[in-house]
Amino acid sequence: MNADSQPTTWSTAAKEIVSGGAFRAFLSVILGFIVGALFMVFSNEAFLNALSYLTARPTDALGAGWTAISDGYLALFRGSIYNYQADNFVAAMRPITETLRFAGPLIAAGLGVALGFRVGLFNIGASGQILFGALAATWVSTRMTLPWGVHLVVAAAVAIAAAAAFGALVGFLKARTGAHEVIVTIMLNYVAAGLLTFFFRQDYLLREADGGGTPKSDAPAETAQLPTLFGDSFTLHAGFLLALVGVVIYWWLMERSTIGYRFRMVGHNIDAARTAGVNVSRTFVYAMAASGAFVGIAAVNQALGARAGLTPDLDGSIGFDAITVALLGSSTGPGVLLAGLLFGAFKAGAPAMQVIGLSPEVTGVVQGFIVLFIAAPPLVRAIFRLPPPQKSTVIADWWVGLRKKKVAK
Amino acid sequence: MNKITKRALSGLALAGAASLVLAGCAAAPDASETAVEQLDYLACAVSDEGSWNDKSFNQSVYEGLTKSRDELGVQIQDAESTSPDDFAPNLQAMIDASCDLTIAVGFNLVDAVNAAAEANPEVNFVTIDGWSNGATNLKPVGYSMNQSSYLAGYLAAAQSTTKIVGTYGGMQIDAVVDFMTGYYYGAMAWGADNDTTVKVVGWDPAKEKGDFIGDFTPNSGTSKAIAAAQLQAGADVLFPVGGDQFGASSEAITESGVDARIIGVDKDIANTSPEYADWILTSAEKRMTSAVYDIIKAIAVDGQAFSGDYYIGTLENGGTALSAITNYTGAQSQADIGAKLEELKAGIISGDINPLG
Repeated sequence: MNADSQPTTWSTAAKEIVSGGAFRAFLSVILGFIVGALFMVFSNEAFLNALSYLTARPTDALGAGWTAISDGYLALFRGSIYNYQADNFVAAMRPITETLRFAGPLIAAGLGVALGFRVGLFNIGASGQILFGALAATWVSTRMTLPWGVHLVVAAAVAIAAAAAFGALVGFLKARTGAHEVIVTIMLNYVAAGLLTFFFRQDYLLREADGGGTPKSDAPAETAQLPTLFGDSFTLHAGFLLALVGVVIYWWLMERSTIGYRFRMVGHNIDAARTAGVNVSRTFVYAMAASGAFVGIAAVNQALGARAGLTPDLDGSIGFDAITVALLGSSTGPGVLLAGLLFGAFKAGAPAMQVIGLSPEVTGVVQGFIVLFIAAPPLVRAIFRLPPPQKSTVIADWWVGLRKKKVAK
Repeated sequence: MNKITKRALSGLALAGAASLVLAGCAAAPDASETAVEQLDYLACAVSDEGSWNDKSFNQSVYEGLTKSRDELGVQIQDAESTSPDDFAPNLQAMIDASCDLTIAVGFNLVDAVNAAAEANPEVNFVTIDGWSNGATNLKPVGYSMNQSSYLAGYLAAAQSTTKIVGTYGGMQIDAVVDFMTGYYYGAMAWGADNDTTVKVVGWDPAKEKGDFIGDFTPNSGTSKAIAAAQLQAGADVLFPVGGDQFGASSEAITESGVDARIIGVDKDIANTSPEYADWILTSAEKRMTSAVYDIIKAIAVDGQAFSGDYYIGTLENGGTALSAITNYTGAQSQADIGAKLEELKAGIISGDINPLG
């Protein structure tokens, strides 16, 4: 092992962050919600007004604070799980289906980023891979005529292949030239965004048939749209099922397959992997292609789940949310699934929270703090070069002491 | 840390603590009655990605909504969108909140609001800058911005000493180009009236080519670069059509050293952005605040039935107008040019003048 590949404080921190345990993730979520509650209280007008006469009538401030928190999180619940105020079944059940719809692309893109983490690669390019995949899918879905069923399959396959190719390009550049994948993926995000806008703006390429100068595509042909799962009353479409299939494939790939074993070897210790005969350069290319392919499922969700024309910002914030999903999910299949569902619920619940007058940034704050709590402990240790925390032996010592006493008796 | 700063800090802390305690000592208010009688009518609005404080059309609509709340006593609710993924869920949230009327702001929401109107025929919708695919519960609100822009172009040509005037847009879309075309023909009309050659840089309606930023990001570097290039080309009046681009334009003017003017759009920017007051000639107003207020008032207060008829803001109905003229230093006197603009306005209203050529 040469000197510069000694595990540094930083690489240890990075490894610790991306492989954080389920318990730490759970605690981070709880803490995130607590910070969100504080944010809601201190941005609440009634609470701030009541604060000015705190000593005269403290119950007002406490009451207003409590109302702010409970109203806020109840609205999140109504908007993302079950609307108990609805007067019909469809409206009552819509929130949970919306959560699943938003979770689909987050889970898929989260898997892609998680795969990169497991190989020691930071794929910051999920947004570009989604855009490139969606560009390819939109070409098939709006410019080609194919029979029902075939059209959807071809469009989805082309999107995944395009996103995988866009990812593989990063792996190739890293393997061949040593270019850092973070820089390359960030730059390719701009390339993809510019390319998509160009295609959506030119009438001879992908611009909508009777559109003006706005960069916007036609709606995907009906034969190429992802079918809805529960009829027309709900917008939830088969894209969520694709994401679930993605979770199963990811689990098999990473935990059971030979190539997945190589991925993990490279991620764990690149020199050991090389010594053991793993072709590291090729593994980078494969890993980035696989990462892009999972992100491609998110592109399918966005491009073929739509019922109207697409605009160049069709990726929303999915590309970056995917990083937080992968972090919260500890880069495991089930973890990413749960994290994706949580962040999907945040997205679905945001409108209901806005309706009661809460700013849409609350869920963003919660989301940010969750990631902060996951990433912060190792980061803080790395910055101040602190040793990793000792496992507490207080309880064990006490237990052993107790046993000894008993024996002595 | 030396003693003085320590003392200063503790003094500060003391003052802070005291103010907190004092703030907490105010008398508790008694329940009071609200001034306006509250109506059982819920008016709602969903923004596009610009948010309610965009100093442009989202804000105009939101002000119309709050004005209705304060003066008419209607209830209001609102939601801002941060990405296209939010449009449909935000509209759905308004339907779930039992809104009587939901206003979707911006042409970006046109697909989502048409779908929502078709799926919920019992709820009324308004689309600002959009269109209806035929649903009778959806009212499109649009503006003939070419009319006020024609007057703005005429005034710009009168003001200009180089007789070169500039305009540029956010994106090449109908809602933007409409301003620029009116401006172009207005400037040309001044040239014809005074036997002078006037040149418009940044937009040619015949070729449909011009200068566009590419997005509506407020005061971007691109916006400033375009403004600087037009000043370089000799323009001394700028008409940036793309929300808040006045910071970028005024910076470009300051740096070039040209004695140039800016014409505002959407709102009277002399009021909304007084920091640019030194450069503002006038504004081509798109009075969405009053349109929103009028629509809500007609239904909630006057008891009229909702209609899906197109509302078009014109010079005639006051939906669009030119703001007060400031900083005018043209060769003709301001009284003369003011009278001429009134004459043109009457001509446009009567149909004698076509602001689109």
